Amino acid sequence: MASSITHKTVFILDRSPFFAQSCNQPIEYDTLKSKGSGVIPAAPIYKSLWTCNVEGVQEYLRIVFDIYPKDRHFRVVSGRTSLNPWNCPDTITTLNMRLAQVGPPLKSKKDDSEYSVFHGLSSAIDCLREPTQEQQDMLDNGDIVRNRGRIIYLTVLKNDMQVNHLEEYILEALQHNKMSSSSDLLPIDECELVLVHTVPVGHDIRITEKPCRELNSCVKFEVTSSHSGRHLYNKLVYLCCKHFDLCSTTVTGIPMKEEQNASSSANYDVELLHPATAHDELFKNEHAEGLVIKSKEGLPIDTTPLKWCTPKSNVIELHQCSAAYRICPVDVNSRPSSCLTNFLISGRAVMLEQPRKSGAKVISHMLAAHGGEIFIHSLPTSRSILEDPPSISEGCGGRVTDYRITAFGEFMKENRLAPTKASLLESYGNRKPYLYAIDHLEKSSRCWPMVISETILFNLQNLSQLPQLLVQETLTEEQLLECTKLIYKVLEMEQKNDPLPIPATGSRGKGPKRDELYRQLWSELETLVRSYSDTSEKHNKVLECLLNCKKPSDEKVIVTRKTPSKKEDKSGGGAGGLTEAEQSWKELDRYQQMSTREKMEASQGEKTQDAPPPKKLKAEELLMRSGGQTLLTMWNNRLKTIHQKRSHEFDARLDSPGDKAKLYIHLDENSSEQSNVNTANVAKKQPVM
Amino acid sequence: MPTIIALDVSLSMSRSVLLPDSTEEYQRRHIAIHGINTFLDYLSANYKLEFVSLIAFSYLYEQLSTFTRDYSIIRTALTKVEAFSKTCIESALKGIKDVTSEEWSNTSCQVILITDGSLGVGVGSLKHSLETMNARKSVEEKFPLPFPFPCKLHIVCIANPNDPDVRSALPYYQKLINVGNQGGEIFLLDGAISFKSVEETFNRLAEKYYNPYCGTLLCGNFNCAVQLFPKPEPFIKQSNDEKVTYGVSDKIEIIGFLEIKDVGSPPTVARHLILPRSTKEKSDTKDKDAKNGKSEEEDDSQDDGKTPSFTVLLHGSLRVESMVAIARVCNDWYGMIYSWADSKKKSNLMLALFDPGQDSVPWLGPFDNLTSWKEYSADDEEKKSPFPVRPADKRSYAQSCVVWIKPSGLQSDIQKVLRHARKLPDKLHQFYKELNRTRRAALSFGFHSLLEALATMLDRECTLLPGSAHPNAALQLTHAANFLRSEQAFDEKQNVVPLLTNFASSSN
Repeated sequence: MASSITHKTVFILDRSPFFAQSCNQPIEYDTLKSKGSGVIPAAPIYKSLWTCNVEGVQEYLRIVFDIYPKDRHFRVVSGRTSLNPWNCPDTITTLNMRLAQVGPPLKSKKDDSEYSVFHGLSSAIDCLREPTQEQQDMLDNGDIVRNRGRIIYLTVLKNDMQVNHLEEYILEALQHNKMSSSSDLLPIDECELVLVHTVPVGHDIRITEKPCRELNSCVKFEVTSSHSGRHLYNKLVYLCCKHFDLCSTTVTGIPMKEEQNASSSANYDVELLHPATAHDELFKNEHAEGLVIKSKEGLPIDTTPLKWCTPKSNVIELHQCSAAYRICPVDVNSRPSSCLTNFLISGRAVMLEQPRKSGAKVISHMLAAHGGEIFIHSLPTSRSILEDPPSISEGCGGRVTDYRITAFGEFMKENRLAPTKASLLESYGNRKPYLYAIDHLEKSSRCWPMVISETILFNLQNLSQLPQLLVQETLTEEQLLECTKLIYKVLEMEQKNDPLPIPATGSRGKGPKRDELYRQLWSELETLVRSYSDTSEKHNKVLECLLNCKKPSDEKVIVTRKTPSKKEDKSGGGAGGLTEAEQSWKELDRYQQMSTREKMEASQGEKTQDAPPPKKLKAEELLMRSGGQTLLTMWNNRLKTIHQKRSHEFDARLDSPGDKAKLYIHLDENSSEQSNVNTANVAKKQPVM
Repeated sequence: MPTIIALDVSLSMSRSVLLPDSTEEYQRRHIAIHGINTFLDYLSANYKLEFVSLIAFSYLYEQLSTFTRDYSIIRTALTKVEAFSKTCIESALKGIKDVTSEEWSNTSCQVILITDGSLGVGVGSLKHSLETMNARKSVEEKFPLPFPFPCKLHIVCIANPNDPDVRSALPYYQKLINVGNQGGEIFLLDGAISFKSVEETFNRLAEKYYNPYCGTLLCGNFNCAVQLFPKPEPFIKQSNDEKVTYGVSDKIEIIGFLEIKDVGSPPTVARHLILPRSTKEKSDTKDKDAKNGKSEEEDDSQDDGKTPSFTVLLHGSLRVESMVAIARVCNDWYGMIYSWADSKKKSNLMLALFDPGQDSVPWLGPFDNLTSWKEYSADDEEKKSPFPVRPADKRSYAQSCVVWIKPSGLQSDIQKVLRHARKLPDKLHQFYKELNRTRRAALSFGFHSLLEALATMLDRECTLLPGSAHPNAALQLTHAANFLRSEQAFDEKQNVVPLLTNFASSSN
């Protein structure tokens, strides 16, 4: 952007005594006319040529700053004085203040040479040579800066001879500036000079207009002329549209309450300016004829009328849109304009419809405000190649019905994005903020089953706090206590033989036995806690607590199921280990298939027996793999489990005659009891109903 | 990216071809049709959602099939192709331009023009067309290239590559592609005309220009093999002095999520369906196919449906929560993933790419600066959305700027002053505020005569005060009018301040 011709524009205001005269366009300012007799209305007032110039420049600036608030810079010079620097924080306010200080030209001719047109031009060239902040930054980075800019000179020209002189002057001046390369000033690579000749209304113009043409590879030259007053404003808006490639849209048929009579409403039109590319699609169509009309605000440009569609609901939808540009209302303070802009800024979006003779409704644009700025959005109107897409349910994974949709919704909310505040940006240093968001995602997805039937742990309401606590960066003493309490709770549940939410395995069999489920729960717990154990010392303590609580007979499951998944977690986290991660996925799949088979065997109830004692080899493997522990703690844990095994025999086995123990001896009783209770309830309720 | 197949059906395409191992007689047309069928086979296997249209051309053109995903329609149309007069490539191009711009407007397309190396004769021959290309006068006669929409032009030549006619035709074909200026390639047969060589040629074209995008969708530790449709094209951003090309990498990495109301219909440059890929190796499937035939294949697709896929989970939650995921597709290029429904019934996961660069959605701020919401809400404004990002300065319509281009603008500002003047001394502060605002604007515009005009208006207002008016009103009006006529009035640093009186302004 810093090397575009629109990056820098210098206005020269001619402050010679000529501009002190009236523009000859009367303005009625007395609003008292309607009041009773006896009051003589004030005579109309006249603006000076200077005032018209200043107002015109202000409007030019207002339009550009509304549409391009960044990267477009302006300076105003008058004679030898420059009124503002580049990258002025609030250009229009600064200029207003400086212009008030400078004041209008004086009518008396004192020193004509001070106002010579050449002085203005020479200071404007100096301005263009000064780098803007963006250009300075590029220079500091060692980038090549192509310094381009435009000079718009609001002046009065004596005759065509003077035009030729100016033409020669600019050529020479730019030739000269190339030769003298000073360290802090840039040479001008390209410059466009626009002379705007203006005379009071009713005077002869007497200057031949010259359309923009190249004098040489780096200078373009244009002469244009206008009467002052409203005509000059029109000319400057026209130039602004040309220079910044803007075009006009008129929003038609805006229903508005009448100012005097609030019960009736009438339709109004509001004209907006915006980058011409917003209408690209409109004019690419072959049948674009009749889409433009003359500007309703009297500007010398065409406007595209688009019909207002009253928004029906407040629901904010995601519209597909191909472009969005800022707009600028032409007559900013008029009642229809401010009604429209206030309506939009309040958060409503308005669709705009193309006028079509055929009667087909084609909505091609949308007006909406974001952060106090109004944008025109272009909506695609032609056929899309994405029409009639296959449904997601037809693809991979489409037939699975028990995704944890709600839980992932929570996950997404926990991983919402926010812009980085300046203070935070500083603390991040060189690391890009989005990487912190990715870190957060990685952390919260370490142990996250996608479907309900894959997990018991995440289906237990009373354990839902555990993952939330573990994902934190640090744990307080209380939180650590909370975690351990939750683990003890599982222990308690197991001892009480509480029922667990059984993952739906389809229609095959009765589903796995309860102790099988508890074993799965414990191993899930371990995977969860283990994946966060390296976060802090307290996290590790949670793991220790868990390992102490686990029954030794669970070990087998740990080995078969969770080792690969742990590995997956680690490698999946790193950016480079993709193939390794894929490998582990496969491995995991294999292991999961294996355990389902085991589950099925168990569910068929053919062999109701305890899991076989872990093979020695596998137990050793577990020791080798259980990362994050010292050899000593591992050995201690091992000893502890062995002791536990010795000291505490399975209670049921003590009562049973042989080596085998019957499990769930009370199961049948319970269920029959329960059904009894149920029928009792129903029986009780019936009379009431 | 719709495809238009343009088949030459001039008489020269009816020339017979001698095939070594066949006793039946074939024409070039048949060979070409076989090639098209090969191409369609490839699409059904690898690029199912592509829209294809068939045009036959000779001296005139005819659209034999409108754009469709049902390739059987095209296959049927191909069986009915007849032979007509002479080759005229310009009429084919004109036809392509007409049918495409009518249907797709500005979508990028690919044309596969199938001919036999003869350029046509006389008026309407390619030679003649290219020679007179720049001398067309009326709009209707304008040469159809370059197309008004982005379009690659491929030319497949069904002829022996060593044929002298083909040799001399090649420069003209190349020129045609160059005039099109959107890329494309000439495809020659590899060896003599045969069913096999034409198959190979069409497969070569398909594999180069219709190879599906295969990548991975990442979200923390979730990853999922995906395909994008249409396949993402490199995006070229042209600035003043340089061209930057952006390409979607094979990793689409989600960085976080946003609510739909915060993301606010942002502009996007391209949209792609995200389709999960089967995780099973392709070769595996082929092996199984060979062993067990069709039933196994069906089983496979069912298995795919039953294996949980991250895309389905993501899609479901995005839809339920009305959220979008923000994803990074390469350095400096981001997009959003959301649930999209064409009709109300079928919805799918869509990736819409923003304009490459950091600031393409001003209300979200630079994309690289998006961070976890947890980091943002360190202070206690948790409930309030951090979006939109507000600019430091307000636009003209959001602040009270002074514009007096039209008399009505000036009148309404004067009226504001007078309205408060009539309610003095109650509206004392508002009166002076408006008066100063108008005065300051007059000074900036160098509109000094307005100050005297204002003073006159205030004087008149003073004389029109009703008898019941507060005495302070007259004092303030006279004070203000006197100030506007004084020297100080031209000093932009001075403000008109209320006259200090003994009347307490709050008393009635």
